[in-house]
Amino acid sequence: MNFQQAAILLALPLASIPLIIHLINQRRFQTLKWGAMMFLVAANRMSRGYARIRQWLIMACRILALLGLILAVARPLASGWLGWAAGSQADTTLVLLDRSPSMQQTSASGGLSKLESARGQLASTLATLGSNRWLLIDGINAQPRELTGPKQLGDAALAEPLSTPADLPTLLEQARGYIEANNTGRTEIWIASDLRANDWDAEGGRWDALRQSFAALGKRVRFHLLSYPESAPGNLAVRVTDVRRRAVGETAELLLSLRISREGETAPTERQVVPLQIELDGARSELTVELAGPTFDLKDHRIPLDKSQVRGWGRVLLPADANPADNDAQFVYDQAPTRKAVVVTENPTAVRPLELAAQISPESLPAGQVETFGPEQAGSLDLDNVALLVWQAPLPEGETAARIERFVDRGGVVLWMAPNSPTAARLFSAGWTDWSTDERTWPLETWRADADLLANSLAGQSLPVGQLEIRRYCGLEGELIPLATLSGGGPLLARVATTRGGVYFLATTAAPQDSNLATNGVVLYVLVQRALGLGTSTLGDTRLAAAGDLALGDSTAWQRLAGGEDAIATPWVYHRGIYTSDDKLFALNRPPAEDQAAVLADTRIDALFDGLEFRRVSETVGSRAGLVQEIWRLFLGAMLIALVGEAALCLPTAAKQATIELRGGTNPSAGSPAASKGAAA
Amino acid sequence: MLPDQRSRSFLDHRVLSRLAAIPFSPRFPMLGTVSGRHASPHRGSSVEFAEYRKYVPGDDLRRLDWRAFGRSDRYYVKEFEADTNLRACFVVDTSGSMAFGSTGTTKLDYARKIAGSLGYLALQQGDAVGLSCVAKGIVKHIPPKRNPAHLMAVFDTLEQTRAAGESQLAPVLHELAETTRQRALMILISDLFVEPETLRSCFQHLRFRKHDVAVFHLLDPQELKFDFRRPMRFIDLEGGPPLFADPTEIAARYLDAVRQYLEAMKQIVLESGVDYHQVSLEEDYEQVLMRFLIRRTRTRGAR
Repeated sequence: MNFQQAAILLALPLASIPLIIHLINQRRFQTLKWGAMMFLVAANRMSRGYARIRQWLIMACRILALLGLILAVARPLASGWLGWAAGSQADTTLVLLDRSPSMQQTSASGGLSKLESARGQLASTLATLGSNRWLLIDGINAQPRELTGPKQLGDAALAEPLSTPADLPTLLEQARGYIEANNTGRTEIWIASDLRANDWDAEGGRWDALRQSFAALGKRVRFHLLSYPESAPGNLAVRVTDVRRRAVGETAELLLSLRISREGETAPTERQVVPLQIELDGARSELTVELAGPTFDLKDHRIPLDKSQVRGWGRVLLPADANPADNDAQFVYDQAPTRKAVVVTENPTAVRPLELAAQISPESLPAGQVETFGPEQAGSLDLDNVALLVWQAPLPEGETAARIERFVDRGGVVLWMAPNSPTAARLFSAGWTDWSTDERTWPLETWRADADLLANSLAGQSLPVGQLEIRRYCGLEGELIPLATLSGGGPLLARVATTRGGVYFLATTAAPQDSNLATNGVVLYVLVQRALGLGTSTLGDTRLAAAGDLALGDSTAWQRLAGGEDAIATPWVYHRGIYTSDDKLFALNRPPAEDQAAVLADTRIDALFDGLEFRRVSETVGSRAGLVQEIWRLFLGAMLIALVGEAALCLPTAAKQATIELRGGTNPSAGSPAASKGAAA
Repeated sequence: MLPDQRSRSFLDHRVLSRLAAIPFSPRFPMLGTVSGRHASPHRGSSVEFAEYRKYVPGDDLRRLDWRAFGRSDRYYVKEFEADTNLRACFVVDTSGSMAFGSTGTTKLDYARKIAGSLGYLALQQGDAVGLSCVAKGIVKHIPPKRNPAHLMAVFDTLEQTRAAGESQLAPVLHELAETTRQRALMILISDLFVEPETLRSCFQHLRFRKHDVAVFHLLDPQELKFDFRRPMRFIDLEGGPPLFADPTEIAARYLDAVRQYLEAMKQIVLESGVDYHQVSLEEDYEQVLMRFLIRRTRTRGAR
């Protein structure tokens, strides 16, 4: 509990006035010589017990009445601990709003979503608490937006739901930047989130720096986390994992792969029949699937197409459930682009197996094209329609290097293979060092089987990476993420973190004197095909991307063909849906991480704000109650009750203070037998 | 008319002249020393016939009723009622509590007026008047006599007596019951601030000795109202420890205690056949005495 007029509390000692009057009254006694002491003694003896308690109750009622009056005038606020935590009026209030798809989860009975609850509660709470300035920082561009007042948070255009994650560390960094740039006074940072791990990135390396920077700002910054950790057991989410158009004789068909995941306990096992609607270019069909576990994968579901229908869009729709934001998945399809690879090598035998692996595509895909060049021809390379660039030569420099960087930015994939003679050149913050000199075989120690090029198959089986025998490898240095590491040596396969495309370093070649990649075959083939697939996905006129991917370009001119939530004031790229621009089709979906229901534990959240002024409150979905409420009426009511109680306690006393009327005397008759007998006795 | 012509503060000749019109009589036959106005338990020589009694040797022959002998041929003695004077013994409480009075008059002053007026009236009709001033014991005792000079001594004693000391009514009354000859009029004037139960045996003792007991129970209006507003420190007039109290806290219980006390007292006097009068000090003593005398007039005559 806190008070909006805290200065009034200085008058609290006035509540002791009844006690002081009582004590003064006790000291202002009169002295009287009195005869009827026997009655006084009897009365004093009787005054113990209830009578004395009654006197104290009257005193307590009077004190309570005054207390109630003073506290009511001080305008108390209350809502559990939050009332205490809120404090007096802040200079600046920053609202960090998690508008990710998971915040659109509603309560079991429907009604408000988490986001709507948060907006409503924040609007009423901040209006009650007051502040000189209000700002909203959300997931659009993480720039603080000044609000005219907290009620503006209720404006749907300002805080509409998005299909992108929240990225709380970035929002906090922006908040810190604003506080430092404007040198704000006492600042309250209100965070409304459902504590999804992907939004908070608690394992990322930015939290330590954030914590330290906020700690340096001192006690003037306080954090309030309004959390909605409630999950929605049974909520279904659908995602299109793959879509391909394939020509079959005179006709064509669409191969659609999707995954339905079910939220709940670690492994829900009850069977559930789910009617699935598939919308293809505006026409809907229904498919019934049966879930028996936490996930259901539909692989290559065939949808017949007219042969002339070479590109189009579609959606997969689930029945309504707790979270409407994950009930649809958009996709676009087109003729598969040519899987073109360019190989630049100074040793053709060392990359020959790669050429073969690139040329032999899976049956459903068009055959791959491979062009091989020498390093001296690298300056005239045309990388416009290339998906994969294999470079087995010293790292390029100058214009060639710049062209390759542009190629990667466009979404292309580069696989650098160890050159015959490494140079000191650096590209993508990495480069080659020297070849190993020990003449022995280097077995692989670890490799990443969960993601990227060496990931397990869709059936979950691992690649035979352990059977690789590396006889010679070239050292690597730079900011690299190892994907496979040699025992006692450096990385065999590593990648550079890029926003688009892919940059991989393979520390050996497929030459027999270097490794058995060629004879093993499987690992090399999968590696090349996956790299080709990754690069091909960015070619063509259709894009299947995650919402919020700014590499898709300016989305203001896009036209929406279909979509999930309504977008009013934010760019299309932040909202899932099907969009068209020029001749291109875009299908935007929520990021895959949004389907993971992992919620950060309270202890983890507390650890993130360790050492900072931080308070957390867990709210329920659909709650309309304000976090902070004025409760002066309660105190006024208490005052009235105390006054009525005091009056009730005083009433009987007043009634008993009637004086005694004497009734003359008694004069028993002289001849009364009773009197005579009584006297004789 | 007083023999020494001295004016007494507790006597008002106008009140006395008005009260003199009403006879002061006992409720029961009294045993006086000389012939008087009141009924005696013995046969005497008054004009009021009592009974015929068989003659026994030794009876005065002058009292034989010859007419009865002529009619019945038997000897009868004709007896008449005897008239005697009464002995009015005033027992005035002079304990410390009698010094209290909120109306300008203390209880002792009031007691003086009652005792003095009734004493004067008694003496005027030839009755003997005695006085006992009592507190912890019998402070002053004047046996009843019927000459005017003796009345002056009683008045002097009344005038000089002061309220002081503890009240021990019960043993004092027992003592007076024993030491006073039977069939006297015992008039107790006191605030009776003792436990009512202790007085029950006293009154029964007095009645057993065939005394006519009259009680004037003096109470101050402040003692009956207890309408103090500020905390008070009460100092015991009889020397007990002082008591600090907030009247607003204990007033109700104080009045309860007084009510219970008065009810108990009334029950005791009813059962003991005592002529009991509750008197508030704000009441005019003439009215009190008037009521007392008139009520006695209605009940006189029993032998």
